[in-house]
Amino acid sequence: MSSETAVSDTLGTKTPAWKRRRRPLLPRAWRRPMAIVGVVIVLAWLVIAIFAPLIAPYNPLAQSFTPLQAPNAAHWFGTDVLGRDELSRVLYGSRISLPLSLVLVVCSMLIGSVLGAIAGYFGRVVDEVIMRIADLVFAFPTIILAMIVAASLGPSLLNAVIALLLVSWPNYARVTRSLVLGARQQEYVVAGRLMGAGVFRSLGRDVAPNVVAPIFVLATLDFGNAILLLSGLSFLGLGAVPPTPEWGAMVSDGVQNFSQWWLATFPGIAIFSVVVAFNFIGDALRDALDPRTAEAVSGVSI
Amino acid sequence: MIRSHRRLAAAIVIGASVAVVLAGCSGGGGSSSSSGKTLVVDNSFDLKTSDPARAFELTGSIVDKALYETVLTFKGSDVTKPVPGIMSYSESSDDKTLTLTMDGKHYFSNGDPVTVDDVVFSLKRVQAIAGNPSFLLDGVTVTKKDDKTVVLTTTTANPALPFILPNPSLGIVDSKVLKKHGGTDTKSDSAESYLNKTSAGSGPYMLKSYSVTTKVVFEPNPHYAGTKPAYSNVVLENVAGPTQKINVQAGASQVALDLNATQVQGLDSAKTNLIKGTSPYVMYLWFNQDSTIGAGVTNNQDFITAVRKSIDYSKILGLSGSGSTQPGGLVPSQFKGAIKPDSTAEFDLAAAKAALAKSGYNGQTVTFSYPNDITVDGLQFETLAQALQSQWAAAGITVKLAPGPIATVLDSFRAGNLQSGIMYWGPDYPDASDYLVFSPGQSIGLRAAWKDGADATVTDAANAAGSASSDDRVQAFATWQKAMNASGPFVPLVQPGQYVVTATSITSVPLNPVWTVDLASIK
Repeated sequence: MSSETAVSDTLGTKTPAWKRRRRPLLPRAWRRPMAIVGVVIVLAWLVIAIFAPLIAPYNPLAQSFTPLQAPNAAHWFGTDVLGRDELSRVLYGSRISLPLSLVLVVCSMLIGSVLGAIAGYFGRVVDEVIMRIADLVFAFPTIILAMIVAASLGPSLLNAVIALLLVSWPNYARVTRSLVLGARQQEYVVAGRLMGAGVFRSLGRDVAPNVVAPIFVLATLDFGNAILLLSGLSFLGLGAVPPTPEWGAMVSDGVQNFSQWWLATFPGIAIFSVVVAFNFIGDALRDALDPRTAEAVSGVSI
Repeated sequence: MIRSHRRLAAAIVIGASVAVVLAGCSGGGGSSSSSGKTLVVDNSFDLKTSDPARAFELTGSIVDKALYETVLTFKGSDVTKPVPGIMSYSESSDDKTLTLTMDGKHYFSNGDPVTVDDVVFSLKRVQAIAGNPSFLLDGVTVTKKDDKTVVLTTTTANPALPFILPNPSLGIVDSKVLKKHGGTDTKSDSAESYLNKTSAGSGPYMLKSYSVTTKVVFEPNPHYAGTKPAYSNVVLENVAGPTQKINVQAGASQVALDLNATQVQGLDSAKTNLIKGTSPYVMYLWFNQDSTIGAGVTNNQDFITAVRKSIDYSKILGLSGSGSTQPGGLVPSQFKGAIKPDSTAEFDLAAAKAALAKSGYNGQTVTFSYPNDITVDGLQFETLAQALQSQWAAAGITVKLAPGPIATVLDSFRAGNLQSGIMYWGPDYPDASDYLVFSPGQSIGLRAAWKDGADATVTDAANAAGSASSDDRVQAFATWQKAMNASGPFVPLVQPGQYVVTATSITSVPLNPVWTVDLASIK
């Protein structure tokens, strides 16, 4: 890459002056309706997750009501086959799905990007070994491999997270590796090395700040996926163990009783709203952190 | 552009997931009934093998009943009187010798005639394999008397033997074919994989294709000696309860065997018929008696008393639907020798708490296993397990649920490695003596690590019941079951309601407690 393109690719040189003057407090990406909707939904779920015991009308495990009531004034989301309040279970479900997805995404981001950075920076044998392992994982369909791991470990939420961690880190490794490959040849990195910086200092000080943004965007977009995968494993009976109110497991209960539409619908909507919200945020975040794509897509934004 | 691509991709992903969900829901019932020759039967599979000498699951019995004939059989649903199958029988007055005589001509699907040698080989093979159905012929000596006659002898009286022989696991296989494919009447038999591809029986149907997870397809045996079955192509497919309802209403299947009480509500009576009854399957709880696995909790008699007393049986019946029954003992309510629930199985929270205090239990977590991929007559184990967990929590017992696929749970249970759980027992033959295997040192007793000599009272009662002659049997079995309830590790929980939903094109589905349904007799 020539120094000329490198300069023009960094901030600003191509942006017309009028655009720069209009840039207010919030990046433009965050002012899009979809981003605002996403943030509002996620914040709402966060509040629900934190204050679930105060918000939920009943104990989510109490089997004290008439089973299979359709939604009514006392039970807004109806009751399930064991006579538990569906609304309370959906609300409490956020306390399972949200933190576990966060843990999953953060861990796979850390593991993946560290391995990817090492592979990209050192190259040669290290690169080959790490990337071939990643390829090995990629060779299997994600959910199938996760099912195999979860099934062999036995059903539990912790095992589901471990299983998904094993299959989700290579995404990050690949992206980080390609970014590091590009960054390590930049003059400022080479200069840093010539000035005596060690390998990890160079990676941490010079390379990392220039590659974290795309990784962070990827993580946000991945958050929705993590929730889907976790719910998927629970749906298949490999994640949450009853009577834990987990959305995927609740949808599975609902599938056992098709005639009672409310059993699957409400946890399904919960999963849907969180996933979509995180995708909106991920989109906005990408636009905010990566001005190049922001420019490219500005013509089609809502 | 990138953004719009992502949106498009998101839309495709959502669309695809909806499609996948819908496809999953609709099941695999693609076969059309319009020809009138194809019959699709939906069943929630617990199939492990179609080798009769090894199969001992409910689905396995349905499959083997269609493929193999037995020496004796039952007519339709009437299980009170064995009738001739391949052979007719006469029993000696001391119930120790059963003489079987060839009854007419029967032919295997390859045209070979069924001979006395095939009968002897098949029965000896069941014994030699030492598989799950082998206990049916425990203590029975099989001898060929002449080319027409086989004699079964036992050292102790075995009045139940004619009721045992109709079991599909004792189906007669073609010994000549089997011997070519690794079949022997010794322990080294290796014909299972062959029998899972090709049937070698004289039943009304033969195997066309076989998969333990998806479906089993049957085609008629051209040499079958009996009445030709009404359907020339039968598909037994593995479908979960809720999907069975959709299939049978949509005409994708003609018989749904595993719908539960909730699911049969709101069926379209213009399109379907409902057959209602009480299931012969007893769902029971077990508590491991091994001191290591039981950890001083489940192998403590007072703890088990607390468990029995803290179950709200009326609530369990409510969950199990109309038609369900609480069995007093392990013998199902419709069999001779069944008892009414006694005082050991009454909900009494105070008594439960007292027994718990006496047991020295101090909050240890008990692991409770159950299969989460099958239903018994449409009733989910998971529903019962969660209800029990909640009821026991009210008494102060902490239970951790451990769901798993039936294959895994069953293997660990059979090995006696599980601390506690819920399982079901379908009758092998319609006689109370079938349930003596729950006694100490017997096959099911050992699954709960209830070893021989662990409970002399129960063992004595079991021996008395096993050898009682006709008039005393009812009383002897009642005594045995009361002893089991008083000090045994098994808790009889519920017999679910049984519902079979058929398309209106079906006029007759004779249900039988031994083989659930004879595919060949569906009309």
